[in-house]
Amino acid sequence: MATTTTIPGTLGGTPESSTPAIRVRDLRKNYGAIQAVRGISMEVAPGEIFGLIGPDGAGKTSTFQILAGVMEATSGVADVFSRPARETRAQTGYLTQSFSLYPDLTVSENIRYIGDLRHVPADEIESRAQRYLWMFDMGRFSNRLAGKLSGGMKQKLSLVAALVPEPHVLLLDEPTTGVDPVSRREFWDALAHLASDGLTILVATPYLDEAERCHRVAFMHLGELQQIGTPSELRSSLHVKRLELRASDLSRAEKILSEESGAREIISDVQRFGDRLDLLARDPLQAEELVNREMKAAGISVSEIRLADPTLENTFVATLRNIGHEMHETPFPARHTHRELKGQIAIGAEQLTMQFGSFTAVNNLQLQVRYGEIYGLLGANGAGKTTTIKMLCGLLDPTRGKVQLAGADRAQSARSQAVRQRIGYMSQKFSLYDDLTIEENLEFFAGVYGVPEDERREKREWVLSFSGLEGKQDLITGSLPGGWKQRVAFGAAIMHEPSVLFLDEPTSGVDPLARRAFWTMINRLADEGTAVLVTTHYLEEAEQCNRLGLMVAGEFVAEGSPSGVKARQTGHLLEFVVDQPQKAADFLKLAGERWRVSLFGDRLHIISDASPEKAIAATTAQLNGIGMNVLEAREGRFSLEDVFISVVERARLQGKVASDDA
Amino acid sequence: MRRILAQTRKELTQIVRDYRTLSLALLLPIFLLLLLGSAISLTVDDLPIVVQDLDNSSASHDYIDAFRASVTLHVVPWPVDLKPEDALTSNQARGALIIPVYFGRDIARGSVAQVQLLVDGSDSNTARLIAGYSSQITQAYNAASGGVVRAQPVQTAMRFWYNPGRSSKKFYGPGIFVLGLSMFPPLLASLAMAKEGEQKTILQVYVSSISAHEFLLGKILAFMLVALGEAVLMCVLLFTYFGLNLAGDPTPFLIATVLYAFCVASFGVMVGAAIPSQAAALQAVALGGFLLVFLLSGLIYPISNIPAGLRWLSNFIWGRYYIEIVRDALLQGGGWPATWYKVLEIAATGAIFYALAWRTMRRMQVKA
Repeated sequence: MATTTTIPGTLGGTPESSTPAIRVRDLRKNYGAIQAVRGISMEVAPGEIFGLIGPDGAGKTSTFQILAGVMEATSGVADVFSRPARETRAQTGYLTQSFSLYPDLTVSENIRYIGDLRHVPADEIESRAQRYLWMFDMGRFSNRLAGKLSGGMKQKLSLVAALVPEPHVLLLDEPTTGVDPVSRREFWDALAHLASDGLTILVATPYLDEAERCHRVAFMHLGELQQIGTPSELRSSLHVKRLELRASDLSRAEKILSEESGAREIISDVQRFGDRLDLLARDPLQAEELVNREMKAAGISVSEIRLADPTLENTFVATLRNIGHEMHETPFPARHTHRELKGQIAIGAEQLTMQFGSFTAVNNLQLQVRYGEIYGLLGANGAGKTTTIKMLCGLLDPTRGKVQLAGADRAQSARSQAVRQRIGYMSQKFSLYDDLTIEENLEFFAGVYGVPEDERREKREWVLSFSGLEGKQDLITGSLPGGWKQRVAFGAAIMHEPSVLFLDEPTSGVDPLARRAFWTMINRLADEGTAVLVTTHYLEEAEQCNRLGLMVAGEFVAEGSPSGVKARQTGHLLEFVVDQPQKAADFLKLAGERWRVSLFGDRLHIISDASPEKAIAATTAQLNGIGMNVLEAREGRFSLEDVFISVVERARLQGKVASDDA
Repeated sequence: MRRILAQTRKELTQIVRDYRTLSLALLLPIFLLLLLGSAISLTVDDLPIVVQDLDNSSASHDYIDAFRASVTLHVVPWPVDLKPEDALTSNQARGALIIPVYFGRDIARGSVAQVQLLVDGSDSNTARLIAGYSSQITQAYNAASGGVVRAQPVQTAMRFWYNPGRSSKKFYGPGIFVLGLSMFPPLLASLAMAKEGEQKTILQVYVSSISAHEFLLGKILAFMLVALGEAVLMCVLLFTYFGLNLAGDPTPFLIATVLYAFCVASFGVMVGAAIPSQAAALQAVALGGFLLVFLLSGLIYPISNIPAGLRWLSNFIWGRYYIEIVRDALLQGGGWPATWYKVLEIAATGAIFYALAWRTMRRMQVKA
């Protein structure tokens, strides 16, 4: 049975209204013998953004399909505005996990079609489409084929198409998978705006930084809801503090502290990032003492211990742990080590340039990644990340410049057999053959990458256990949910223990727990001397890298360690709590530069170049001027995402544009 | 109604957008008609036969000249020292005529002269033709050289109606026209339908509360228009290049064409709905639309030639009735009395396809 821990106070905390927009009572869905949804109950109030979070296979998509009225429930109630979901389809907008509009129709044709199907008057379709396209800054793309839009644009188009019939409820199933940070923030700004106009939004997301922007969040696991509450309630329900530890030898520090940690110990959790460790502890003072003692004993110098609040991600992992769902770690059967290579240059690029006709995709890029290093390549869609990776691993010949890969320069051809044996590549799109079974896929890749015959069995078994698919090796790969496929693909890419590893958005669509297992594995490989080059849209994840390069329009605009990049950020991040957050955000966006303002749940983030005191005073005066009250204002700390967005926007102001706008 | 039209417009936009689809829809039927319409021909001429003249007399030369005069056969000289069967095995000739020594002498004596004709029987149709023509030529030679002439009590005067020149173009043209209509519109319809399932766009359709009837009719209407467009283009070709004309009342043909367009579009949509994979749907339509219509509809071989065990199948082949209607309209001109029940058969088949498609789609929900 579902044991839902409703945190006290949440019921009263929901937005005011007597009839819920969405009411789910003891909902169940079985596929044959498999129980996908096992009796969930929840209510979503009108105008609320309600987040559904859970690992892959938790039953989120089934719940969405039932609420959208496109699938029948096995039993239970799924009402939208007090009527069965199936009957209220006309009031529901549904964004599916993958893009479900027509790639061979233009933006406006897609909108027209959806509008017609829903009996929206023709002139209304026209005017609403214009309004929403303008709102999402897509007006100039109305005649572009949907298939030619970038991932972020596609999702925005889906949203526009869903909004044109003016639904009362929006169901969004992982809407931002594969969408770059800038578009993601715009997307969420738009959602906040719509919710303040009274639209009810139910959204599933694997990214917990997005969950922070929901009014309430529910954790779903194995078809049951585990916890419902506002993000801050969930965070405080853990009763722990987070310690950020910066030290000289993170790898060893992690090992030592992991041995000390446990559910009953002082330190309950240790997680490694690119240049720090995150520790969770009930009593921070005791924990700090313990850390200092242990580090001293091991001869590791501690440069900083900083106290912070736990993140939703911490909460999520802890919750899953409490119910006994832990990523059991099967140690990787490493047979080869690249430790002796550490410190040497694994990937090098000088003046790397790629031109497609008159368009310069990559311009004069310098890059060095050493063995044992994790390098993150960040950038919006169309910034040139994938082109860069393709040139680095020899799939594409650069127009100009030199590439050095795994000890061979381009003259020797990075495509040679010997070099290929040493690199691993996991691409964004292609990874596995959908029509083969998992076992057959693994066997195939073990064969192509030349995994020695006697190691194949243990490697295959490791991939299965890493993916949590033991005993399911005979499933057809195409039938797996996206997140699981990613895990198998990742496993397949490292079976031959490459010394250089390219990962192109490896974790898109993967749940937090699995993502953590990915990064544990990536760190372990790096410790063994593997050079890792990774691209990601998720900046929380970029914190895991040792060094970062931020790309805009084919060039690096910032490079360095995560803390370094953040420290070099000019300007200040200000956090405001006001009584009418959405109105305030709209007003400030119009008054100043759009990108400087964004709304996180009930808090406003403003990036200002002036000194914090001055900026707070100025903004407060501005808001008071239109009759709004500022309840709280303080300087906050930049997240990597804030840095990314301001860097990209500043570059854009200087005339550098992404290829999307071309 | 508005949703049906919206659906139709969307389908047509998609077809027009992709030039490959568009050419598949419009150019390939024309190409098929030109190619098959002119290439298929069961009247043969210039069949090579070798002649080995062991007698080499004036009588044998006369006899060989009679063969030379034939349009159907083409005489290839063959040296006496080579085995005539080599000409057959090396495919230089389809038959071999061997004239023994004393051929001239036997004729002069008035006794019966024997000649030998070896025919390559591997292609039975051609073999029958060679045998037939050879005995006709021999009969004519006998008559001319004053052999025994019997009185002929019955004489047939043959006239070929409807297609006096016995042009095979006029016979096959209408058949290929039907084949084109049976193949391309359902192919496109099934691909479009399967694509909705494959690309998951069907979810947006499900969530929009459009009914299964509206959705199916919208799609079918679009591909009916494609079929009718093809029909018009191919008709232009039939009336010009193939030299056909309407014979008699055209209304059964016009009505049957609209119904047939509905029938094939429904067939495609039905297949696409049942098999949500483009590759598999394509195979199914290729089997149903092409193979069955090609083999079992009387397009090339008369239905009476189909072995009795399989002949009943042709009653279920929708193309068969339409071929008969088209041939009637363009050649025989029998009008309604000759075709009314065939028009009904087409309508009924279309209705069955539609009902099956609706059965698959009726819930407009994800199957689970």
